[in-house]
Amino acid sequence: MYKYIPYIWLTLSILLLQVFLIDNIDLGSSISVWIRPMIFPLIILLLPVEWKSIWVLIITYLIALTLDLMLGGSGIYVITLLPIALARTTLLYLTTHRTTESGDQTQLLARISVGQLMLYIGVSMLIYHALFFALETLSTASLMRLVVTTLLSTLCSLLLSWPIVRLFTSKVVG
Amino acid sequence: MHRLLEFIKRIYVVLLFVLLESIAIWQYATSSPYTEAKILSRTTAVGGYVSKKITNIDHFFALPGENGMLTHRVAELEQTLERERELLSDYTEESWQRKMTEEGDLHYRYYPARVASMTISHMRNYIVLDKGARDGIKKNMGVITPDKCLVGYIIECSERYSVAMPVLNTEFTMGGSLSMTNYTCSLRWAGESPYHIDIIDVSTYAQIEVGMAVEAWSERLPKGVIVGRIESFEHNAAKTAYSARLKLAADMSALNNVLIVENTHYGEIETLMDNIESQSKP
Repeated sequence: MYKYIPYIWLTLSILLLQVFLIDNIDLGSSISVWIRPMIFPLIILLLPVEWKSIWVLIITYLIALTLDLMLGGSGIYVITLLPIALARTTLLYLTTHRTTESGDQTQLLARISVGQLMLYIGVSMLIYHALFFALETLSTASLMRLVVTTLLSTLCSLLLSWPIVRLFTSKVVG
Repeated sequence: MHRLLEFIKRIYVVLLFVLLESIAIWQYATSSPYTEAKILSRTTAVGGYVSKKITNIDHFFALPGENGMLTHRVAELEQTLERERELLSDYTEESWQRKMTEEGDLHYRYYPARVASMTISHMRNYIVLDKGARDGIKKNMGVITPDKCLVGYIIECSERYSVAMPVLNTEFTMGGSLSMTNYTCSLRWAGESPYHIDIIDVSTYAQIEVGMAVEAWSERLPKGVIVGRIESFEHNAAKTAYSARLKLAADMSALNNVLIVENTHYGEIETLMDNIESQSKP
């Protein structure tokens, strides 16, 4: 039970940060149309890769459901977060060429460099933001705007995620 | 059985993922009319293509019936043409010129279409038609059967397909009028029988009777489009108006070929109404 406490803290902190701080930052209507950072995929990306997929999927579903209820997403957070939860081991392999080895009790995220970790998080965040904005607009009429919003929001999310990732990897994973 | 269980045991994570995603997509799709229409038009662009291929087989077997109906329609049009010829023969040169100029500006255009897929068992049903924006189809065009019975109106278009909201949708709104009278009413579907629809707000002065036809009363459609015939009627609770139950003229469970109707003056009417609304705002 003791080993789960950091993850519970991480979940609560990121959710509160997203809902009460990031979503309420007023950048002005002309900027907020282009930049909408979302850092909550970090919760799923930083869960130990060694955990069974079924538990990760259930945890993701519960977190996404909470977000849907809190932010009025009507299911959009579940639709977009579940594929990330399912594909994160594949994404980790594609970005770092590392997989979990049987019998190895050390966390995989602790064995990769910070650069590789940020690459894995960056690619996952990019996919997440693209999925989210595509589903939100449901239109190909302004494709360029969709691409720019995705890129800017991902970049902004990564900048906001950086201190959290550093703190978490040094205190918990490491 | 053992092998099946082993197989499920191997893919249960993916199965759970598909289940949870399906529930979430359904929830998201039904969260607003916009997402509902958008997701429906996107998914049916693919699904519609497959359905079209399958329904082509149905169309083949339905050809004798359709031929009979077309022959009937041709006969009707021939009669109309004959009447027009007789009328035109009495025209002077001046009135002939005027008539030709008026007819050059067609009030209604008709586009034949086929039903690619549809539902009638939900509260909010939709019809996917195999004609889209590239065929000239636009939002708010009316949809009728070839024998001029009301089906619904277009609410969304993609390049090759369009989605119509049929009368069998609880959000469907349109006016109606009692045939051969000037009394109007409102059409509503309560979500019960796919063969019946209700009309409300019929004036108590109207000579309403069982079997009377009700026509659509809308800028989207020409005059004479039949909605159905009155099966029963009663006073509302306050006895200020009649409400009645109609048997739908169109058999919605066997829709195959339809006509999409464009009122070429619709945009003008819409602009006019928008102007009035904007003027009436404080």
